[in-house]
Amino acid sequence: MPALQPRDESAIRELIRKLVARELPPADSLPGDGQDLVKTGVIDSMGWVGILSGIEEATAIRNFGASWPEGRPQSIRALASAVHKGLGESKSRSGTVGSRGDASRDIAVSVAGWGYSLGARRLGAAEVEEECGLPAGTILGRAGIQSVSRAAGDETETSLGVRAAELALEKAELGPEDVDVLVATSATSLGFPSLAALLHSRLLVPESCAALDVGGACVGIIHAFAAAQGWLGGSRHRVALIVASEVNSRALARPGVPGEFRGLFGDGASAFVLRQTEDSAPAHFRWGDILSGCAGAHSSALSVIPGATGNLDVIFRGEQLATAAVSSLCQIVERLERLSGKSRTQVDCFALHEPNPRLVEIFAARAGIPMEKIPRIAQTAGNLGSVTCGVNLCAALSRLEEADPQSRERLIFTAAVAPGLLWAGAYLQQINHDKPIS
Amino acid sequence: MPELVLSDITVMGQGYCVIGLEKAAAEAYRSVRPMPPRAFAWREPFPFRRGDSVRFDPVPTTVSRPHVEDQQSRGLIHTRHSLSEQELVECLRRAEVSRNLSDLFGCPLQASDRGGRAFWVNPAEAKRSVCGCEYDNVRFRVFADPEGLSLRAEISLCSGERISSVPVVDREWRRFVARLVGRIQRVDPLPLLGRFLNRSIALKLLAAPSRFARIGLPRPKADQQCWLMLDSLFPQPNESWLDLL
Repeated sequence: MPALQPRDESAIRELIRKLVARELPPADSLPGDGQDLVKTGVIDSMGWVGILSGIEEATAIRNFGASWPEGRPQSIRALASAVHKGLGESKSRSGTVGSRGDASRDIAVSVAGWGYSLGARRLGAAEVEEECGLPAGTILGRAGIQSVSRAAGDETETSLGVRAAELALEKAELGPEDVDVLVATSATSLGFPSLAALLHSRLLVPESCAALDVGGACVGIIHAFAAAQGWLGGSRHRVALIVASEVNSRALARPGVPGEFRGLFGDGASAFVLRQTEDSAPAHFRWGDILSGCAGAHSSALSVIPGATGNLDVIFRGEQLATAAVSSLCQIVERLERLSGKSRTQVDCFALHEPNPRLVEIFAARAGIPMEKIPRIAQTAGNLGSVTCGVNLCAALSRLEEADPQSRERLIFTAAVAPGLLWAGAYLQQINHDKPIS
Repeated sequence: MPELVLSDITVMGQGYCVIGLEKAAAEAYRSVRPMPPRAFAWREPFPFRRGDSVRFDPVPTTVSRPHVEDQQSRGLIHTRHSLSEQELVECLRRAEVSRNLSDLFGCPLQASDRGGRAFWVNPAEAKRSVCGCEYDNVRFRVFADPEGLSLRAEISLCSGERISSVPVVDREWRRFVARLVGRIQRVDPLPLLGRFLNRSIALKLLAAPSRFARIGLPRPKADQQCWLMLDSLFPQPNESWLDLL
């Protein structure tokens, strides 16, 4: 059905008549447009609510009828007038109703909220080494991981994701009812309903909220940002919720997984609320361009393929992967410099995927980036897959929010690599219009 | 005289529909709906609360699906014994329960064709008219309607399924919302009410160990559709929550 426009008076009236007719006993004829449906006993209060719900569903006018002033007649005419007004308000908020927005409008996408949750159990490096049959000192000495976060028995990708999402929504001062698009990513939640569908039901976001899953393993969170940014580019969707969630400890606890690979990983979730922002609006971090690609020459460094007997066939060439990952991260930073027009010295924080903490140190040394500009979750929680970059981005946003309120401009680079070798990066910028240029 | 623990007191027109739990076996309970001699609903004054233990004098009753729990009586007598909310919910967990939508009433749920999101069941197919379930999340919607306010809820079950737009007929929740409205001194209290219910109050509910819902069915009308209702929502609203506003 084409989207209703405020001027489509006959279509509005027709929709309302149809919804009223459905509430009437089969033999009753449709009342006149001016007749009060409730006072004259044509329908009862349940029927009235049914009509309001139906209108809200059909027109996408939020909270239609939540406020019906005392004394206003409950008639088809009054409903039509309220729909007309509601559509007009939607249009003034978003350009046009139900179609792509005015191209001349300068819509930016900003981060309004963020949050993360880690598995409730914490295992020290020595426990991980024992569990994975590794020589003492492997996890801490070679990978730089002091401990990993593990999901407790009742924690799943969904429950961890819900907790992170609730924190992000709270930070954004929004509720689930405000979410228009939900984008989820996970390399470990492989069943159906998908993670996006599970989160959709669990969070009770509106049924009209889109739900989609994107892949990419460790770059999944940046792919999710790209997908959300695309959806928010139109006029119908204003708020997106992005959730990455991984329970690696269960997904990798299978025959065929080498201990030196399995031992690197932890469990957790990260979430972000993105929203449309008029370009003139100050304060929030805005998404700049997002880069993504695939360096297939390195695809043989890591492969994880489900076997026929429930096992995982893992090929993990650690040194080759490490070299390729560091090289790719350096290239992403160079590309982001060109794209943003800012040098790495101007960047306040780098939110990175951490294959392991040692690799990040090697990358930082090679790229000439001070370690204090790089939040590092993997030291204490392990490699969290797609969640790693998200948790580090949460830390970067919180750190910059708290520090130096006088700064006129702040900049974050984010970068990740994944099997394939997929790579992705983006920059976020905060311009504080209230502060003078120094 | 049989003894019941009152588990559900729901608003039904001008009166109350009441359900109690009767011991069915050592560790199990079943729902019984005690009714006055010649009506479905109890009128005011109705001095009982959920958790109250009552004795009742049953009289022969003709039951029709899905209200197989109906039992007419000569009246209710308080035994002076009451269960705490947590004790009551433990009993409810050992009565009719379902983890998913399809087992709630032993028959398929039909989606509304009105564009709304409510569910109904065919009374001829339903095997009972009340069932309990654990929930993971709840959200409220308040509509203005001719009788004042209409409170609806959405519930996410542990199975990942959701029940959308069920009218809340739980007496205590309706009273609680009416009292909240009285405290909100605004021309249009509904936006603030919705935010308050879905933030402060929902947090209280989700943090409680007694998180449990009872879904019920009304008596069928001519269209032979029984629309799902939220009979009871635990934890029950607490007086002190009003001060969170």
